[in-house]
Amino acid sequence: MQYLIHMSRKLLWLGALMLLLLAFTAPQLMAQSVRPPGNAVNLDDGTEPGPSNALGDVSDTEIWDQFRGGDPANLLGPALDGQAMTTTGQQWRMVRENLIRKYLGWLPLIVIGLLAVFYLIRGPMRISAGRSGKTIPRFSHNARLAHWFMAAVFIILGLTGLIILLGRPVIAPYLGLQANSILTSAAMQGHNLFGPLFIVALVWLFIKFVRGNFFQLVDLKWIFKLGGFFGSHVSSRQFNFGEKSWFWMVILGGIVISATGILLLFPWLVDDIRWLQLSTILHALAAVVLIAVAFGHVYVGTIGMEGSIDSMLKGEVDENWAKEHHDLWYEEVTGKSAKEETS
Amino acid sequence: MSFLEFVEGPLFAVAAGIFLFGAFWRIVGIIRIGRKKDIAPPKASAAAGFVKGNLRHFLPRGIFAKRTAVHIIAGYGFHLGLFVLVFFGAFHVEFLNERILGFAWPTLPRWGFILASEIAFAGLIVLWVRRISDPVMRLISTPDDHIGSWLTFIMMLSGCFALQESHEMLRAMHMLIVDIWLIYFPFSRLMHAFTFVLSRGNSGATYGRKGMNL
Ligand code: HEM
Repeated sequence: MQYLIHMSRKLLWLGALMLLLLAFTAPQLMAQSVRPPGNAVNLDDGTEPGPSNALGDVSDTEIWDQFRGGDPANLLGPALDGQAMTTTGQQWRMVRENLIRKYLGWLPLIVIGLLAVFYLIRGPMRISAGRSGKTIPRFSHNARLAHWFMAAVFIILGLTGLIILLGRPVIAPYLGLQANSILTSAAMQGHNLFGPLFIVALVWLFIKFVRGNFFQLVDLKWIFKLGGFFGSHVSSRQFNFGEKSWFWMVILGGIVISATGILLLFPWLVDDIRWLQLSTILHALAAVVLIAVAFGHVYVGTIGMEGSIDSMLKGEVDENWAKEHHDLWYEEVTGKSAKEETS
Repeated sequence: MSFLEFVEGPLFAVAAGIFLFGAFWRIVGIIRIGRKKDIAPPKASAAAGFVKGNLRHFLPRGIFAKRTAVHIIAGYGFHLGLFVLVFFGAFHVEFLNERILGFAWPTLPRWGFILASEIAFAGLIVLWVRRISDPVMRLISTPDDHIGSWLTFIMMLSGCFALQESHEMLRAMHMLIVDIWLIYFPFSRLMHAFTFVLSRGNSGATYGRKGMNL
């Protein structure tokens, strides 16, 4: 106890001394650009114990107000005259450490868990009439190439991106800082190099798949019947509401990811660091949401629904698959009724 | 000897030896098979046909050009991109200069190197996904095709991972995969990098001798 009182007194003095020093040096600091010293280490990032309370209980709000100047609640507000230091960096760090890094990574895991539960309860959706053995063309080869090019680039960027984002809290505690540093350096280079290819993939995917992905009245029925995942039959044209939503999520989320990614890759394009701070948050948010939903997409495209993968591997689907999942499209393409005796 | 020194030193020497000797052995073997004697009198030069056959294949045939456009663009993108990044990337030229050749030549700026790599990666991915998404390609692709594509991809990716030059380990991984690639090369269809000249030339010479307009 004695020791604690002694220590806190010492800290109090130290704090007071530092504040005094700050008060004297503040005007000089204001004139300089704020840059961390070369040997600066970031101790208080929420992952390591560090002196978060170095000043003890002493704080001089006036001095800090002088420093801050601007409105701390307004991330993108204009910088005020005489402002020596922006605090948005601190807020950005808080959002990144306490929200993005702590919670966002759970989203894909939750989706995987839900899919596993759904699979265990419901099992794969089989073609109820069985395969007919007759197929009809669904996607051209170029459309399939566009799809798989996007999938490949997406997987590389997703894996490297997750390492960059979550390496410190998730990998470092188990494999150590050195291993995490190696992985992150590799991931960062991979991510930077493949990033621009995502934009190419996005444009190609858009061109090849936009037809048929516009929302229509028939989609309302799909929504009311919960997509037929729980039993009942649903009508749809070439793409159902779920697919259309996925398409637009990829396109819109992809635009956000691309725009923010360009800023992060070429930071000199903007002269206000707050755009970059906002970019990292939006980039991670859009990317992780897409990754999470992608698991659902991959599930339905593979083990979740019999016959789906044929369309992307062979370009053709079984007639009975088409009748069951895309009856209106089947009728459009073949000119036959989807309600005929399934062959 | 560190791991890096091992993969850049003795292992690299062995791998390069296997690559050169193996490739040479196979090319000589193919040439020694020879051609069946054609007893019909030649209508035109087989040698000219050999050269013409090689050159003609660089351009797609009219009716196929549109249908195979993506394949052609990806093929050229990958091969030219890979050639440029291997022989004009600053790291590679420096390595060849210091370890093997003793002389250097002008290299690409970093942005050029990255761009060439991006084009090569895009091309290779398209070429591989073409393999898995076309029924005919799936049928005629053997494990060797997939191993060749993947090994090349992983070799390029490991090089990309080492770009920051921050950890010896990453450079060592790249070199290890380069060594494996060099060793695998002569035993696989990666040999097409050399043998394409012979196969195109062979059909070119056959047609040329018959006086066909290629
Ligand atoms: C790697 C795992 C993946 C598999 C197995 C897969 C499978 C499939 C299949 C089978 C279809 C055709 C569905 C149908 O016939 O209606 C499809 C369509 C589609 N996929 Fe994928 N996919 C994968 C990854 C991705 C990724 C990463 C993206 C985008 C980021 C994506 C975007 C799309 C789009 C836009 C369509 C067109 C249908 C629509 O508009 O929703 N896929 N996928």
